Amino acid sequence: MNGDVLLILIVVLPFVGSVLAATFRPNARNSEAWLAGGVALACLILAAIAYPAIVEHGAIRSESEWLPTLGLNFTLRMDGFAWLFSVLVSGFGFLVVLYARYYMSPHDPVPRFFAFLLAFMGAMLGMVISGNLVLLVIFWELTSIFSFLLIGYWHHNAGARDGARMALTITGIGGLGLLVGVLLIGHIVGSYDLDRVLAAGDQIREHDLYVPALILILLGTLTKSAQFPFHFWLPNAMAAPTPVSAYLHSATMVKAGVFLMARLWPVLSGTPEWFWIVGFAGMASLLVGAFFAIFQHDLKGLLAYSTISHLGLITMLLSLGSPLGAVAAIFHMINHATFKASLFMAAGIIDHETGTRDMRRLGGLFRYMPITATLAMVASAAMAGVPLLNGFLSKEMFFAEAIETHAKSVLDTSAPYVAVLASAFAVTYSLRFIHTVFFGPKPTGLERQPHEPPFWMRFPIQFLVLACLVVGTIPALTVGPFLHTAVISVLGPNTPFYSLAVWHGFTLPLLMSAVALVAGVVLYLLLNGYLNRSEAGPPFIRRLQAQRIFERVLVVLSWKWARSIEARLGTRRLQPQLRLLVVAAFIAALLPISLDDLSLTSLRISEIDAVFVLIWVSGICCAVSAAYQAKYHRLAALILLGGAGLSTCITFAWFSAPDLALTQLLVEIVTTVLLLLGLRWLPKRIEEEGPKTVSLGTRFRRVRDFGIAVAAGGGVGVLAFVAMTSPVPLETVASYYLEKAYVEGGGKNVVNVILVDFRGFDTLGEVSVLAVVALTVFALLRRFRPAADSIAVPDQQRMQNDFDEAEPDRKVGDTIADYLLVPAVIMQWAFPVIIVLATYLFLRGHDLPGGGFVAGIAMAAAFILQYMAAGTRWVEERLRILPVSWIGLGLLLAALTGMGAWLFGYPFLTTYSQYVELPTVGATPLATALLFDLGVLGIVVGATVLMLIALAHQSTRGLRSARVATEAEQEEA
Amino acid sequence: MTGMADLPIWAALLVAFLVLLGAVLTLIGVLGLLRLRSFYERVHAPTLGTTFGAGSILAASMIFFSMLETRLVLHEILIAVFITITTPVTLMLLARAALYRDRAEGAEFVPLHQEADPGSAGGDHSGRK
Repeated sequence: MNGDVLLILIVVLPFVGSVLAATFRPNARNSEAWLAGGVALACLILAAIAYPAIVEHGAIRSESEWLPTLGLNFTLRMDGFAWLFSVLVSGFGFLVVLYARYYMSPHDPVPRFFAFLLAFMGAMLGMVISGNLVLLVIFWELTSIFSFLLIGYWHHNAGARDGARMALTITGIGGLGLLVGVLLIGHIVGSYDLDRVLAAGDQIREHDLYVPALILILLGTLTKSAQFPFHFWLPNAMAAPTPVSAYLHSATMVKAGVFLMARLWPVLSGTPEWFWIVGFAGMASLLVGAFFAIFQHDLKGLLAYSTISHLGLITMLLSLGSPLGAVAAIFHMINHATFKASLFMAAGIIDHETGTRDMRRLGGLFRYMPITATLAMVASAAMAGVPLLNGFLSKEMFFAEAIETHAKSVLDTSAPYVAVLASAFAVTYSLRFIHTVFFGPKPTGLERQPHEPPFWMRFPIQFLVLACLVVGTIPALTVGPFLHTAVISVLGPNTPFYSLAVWHGFTLPLLMSAVALVAGVVLYLLLNGYLNRSEAGPPFIRRLQAQRIFERVLVVLSWKWARSIEARLGTRRLQPQLRLLVVAAFIAALLPISLDDLSLTSLRISEIDAVFVLIWVSGICCAVSAAYQAKYHRLAALILLGGAGLSTCITFAWFSAPDLALTQLLVEIVTTVLLLLGLRWLPKRIEEEGPKTVSLGTRFRRVRDFGIAVAAGGGVGVLAFVAMTSPVPLETVASYYLEKAYVEGGGKNVVNVILVDFRGFDTLGEVSVLAVVALTVFALLRRFRPAADSIAVPDQQRMQNDFDEAEPDRKVGDTIADYLLVPAVIMQWAFPVIIVLATYLFLRGHDLPGGGFVAGIAMAAAFILQYMAAGTRWVEERLRILPVSWIGLGLLLAALTGMGAWLFGYPFLTTYSQYVELPTVGATPLATALLFDLGVLGIVVGATVLMLIALAHQSTRGLRSARVATEAEQEEA
Repeated sequence: MTGMADLPIWAALLVAFLVLLGAVLTLIGVLGLLRLRSFYERVHAPTLGTTFGAGSILAASMIFFSMLETRLVLHEILIAVFITITTPVTLMLLARAALYRDRAEGAEFVPLHQEADPGSAGGDHSGRK
């Protein structure tokens, strides 16, 4: 298979699978597992196919253009190291899927689980085989997001929500740092391409920006790998379902950090800064993680801290800057993934069978589940570094490296002691895990009798434990070649000689291992009694929890400081906001123009048409009075606003823009009506009592606001004047459109052709915005509670209803029905007429004034009339208007029409026009733009009607609340 | 408006007369709206514009464009029909609203509940005391 296709398939398959998985039935555990397992297996097989080529050529690449102008290509690149991780990610993915099939309860909504899991796998695979640093960061962030969703899978559980949020916050901050760091690297090297970056190690290390770039990148990797001081999110992420923990916190998510450090190792390592930062973080995590792990009561908590510790070990190995250290680090990545995943799965089985993960309550499980217990014992022995298991091998390499002096310093000198101490701790917690869970007295107070899990649930553990054993006994024959391929791809020509043998003779590392083993056992014997009685957490510093500190920082940052900044700088009042906006716009417009550039040509009076001036004078009067009345008489202001709009409309007609005039007229009508309907829900104006005294401050404010208004309005006026009086160049955009509209767009109405053809993409964007606005209005109004003084039924309705109730032979609503009879009939009859008008406007749109937008508004007006004539209830009993469907179908149609052009090899939204011979009508010009326009129509109708419905339902809800209020009053009386 | 010169003189005169007539009638209606005292009186004045005013302007338009395009142009009839149908709706709604408002505010010159129907807008609406 072609390398290109193969790499793209590896990345794309999981995402496709994720989308598919999301569509299954909620309880389709089996089919979900088949799908997810199949996808994971397919990725694994693809990786296996790629292996010979990688061994032969070093790396396979696939490059396709993405944003070539920014130097960003969608580059995938798989070398030995990326291959190793691809195998880990897809292989473990397969095992986890198998495990999850039995772990997830039939009540859990599995499509969400498997969809997120597959998407996470895709992101992870994309991350490891990206050949471009920016692409890598994007996949990196995707892993953060999907891990957030996976950790928070049981979102009804507060712990899961908090843990997920914390993981996202920490890794998200790190991701941001990583992005900036990568951009700096890109700046130094001049390319984001991984190959070029890896070849530019000296250049990067000598650059002035090396330290900032290093710190930022390390911020990303250390947060991701849960290294001290960012380690605390990992134990909190244990609220995730156990398959997620087994996957994310053994082989994938947390390995991403160390993966990237190893990936960039040849470029970044070897400097004192690298050694100190990475070394300190690694050593601290190694020790702190191991120490804390001893004192956990939660099985998964223990494993989580142990993960932190083991990742710290890897980080420390990487910090040394010696090639052998890097080899050991890569080897330990594999080993840790193997035993930790199996331990997480075992913990999940124990939890599943007994209903608890608290080690104080567990015990003696060996007699119930001997096989699982044996497997867990082997795996934790590997974790503790017992000989003949894989953990032992990498730990020995670690010890060997720790003894070596790399850079003379406190850190380096203390390394061997810290290493032994941490290993002793590892032995202690491994022993505790085994001893408290599987031995000792029988557990008491369990909800059910534990027993062995189904074979296939145990299978992943068996497989992994077997791997631990085999790798531990015959490493050179099993993992050796693959490890070598990976190491070569990271270290290149610097690859040192290393030996994967179990037995190296009596060496210092062996002695250290022995000391650690003995010390660990002794420590456990000493601590055993204390541990079973104590609270969770290490002694003395139990209260000092990084998690609490994090929460406190979060509260201070996102609540206290944010609130105080908001209180000082923000405002909820509209006036200051508008003032700021206008002033900012004014300054923004003023800055680029020095006033000299504005050549104000004086108009000759003879050129002015008196009638036109009159229209504008009345328009201006209307606008100014509307502004003036807006506070005192909203209805009058609204009517005056309509007057101003009308004069604009006449202006358009005057200057031969019938299209604009038509649109303006209809928009004016519909907005006025909608505003009128909304007006009813505004609170009453606060009447000032007593004599009117205007304070100095108020007077100043008014004068200032008036000044701002005049300056901004005048400024726009001057700009418009200059724009309109300056000479027009011969070749303008307009002449281009006029020339090409019919030839290329197939329409005589240039405005419409521009909208649906030349600038169709803009239109698509605009109508999408319209749809979003409509949905927002609907969402806002759905929860809107009107002001107290506008809830009551209007006087007129109240009087009518009182009258109806007082008369014995009438029922409520009769009067209104009586006097609305004639208007209602006329408005109802207008319905089909307006629909015909809308159709007419729509169909003539391409050649004459009209089009989808205008037609849509006209059609919406027809619906509005129905609501006004007969009320919400009556209309909705008879007409099924589905505005959201209108919007959706409209968007779909517009987008599909645009995509249709692809079928014929043209770019998005290319239109096609043709004369078609229709029966009885004759030759008719038809353009695909008409379909696009139909989409526009749908969106406009849907959006307008949706807003209308939001307002109309307000009215029915308001009535109900008013009725409830009056009933309550009556009961009291 | 290039074809305006092609219009025969009689047609031009007729069109001009009709347009002016419509405009004057509308103007009178507007003046009435301005001058008359009570709402119930004012509501009648603009109808001058919506009936005869609009009618003569539409007739003028029909003649003008029929002559210019040398074919019968009858769109205006549709406009006339719609104006005729929709204007009364406005009148009814406005008058009813005004009546209720005046009653609620206890204005003097409004008919009180002497009939069965509370909102007998068709009655002696101009009856001031």
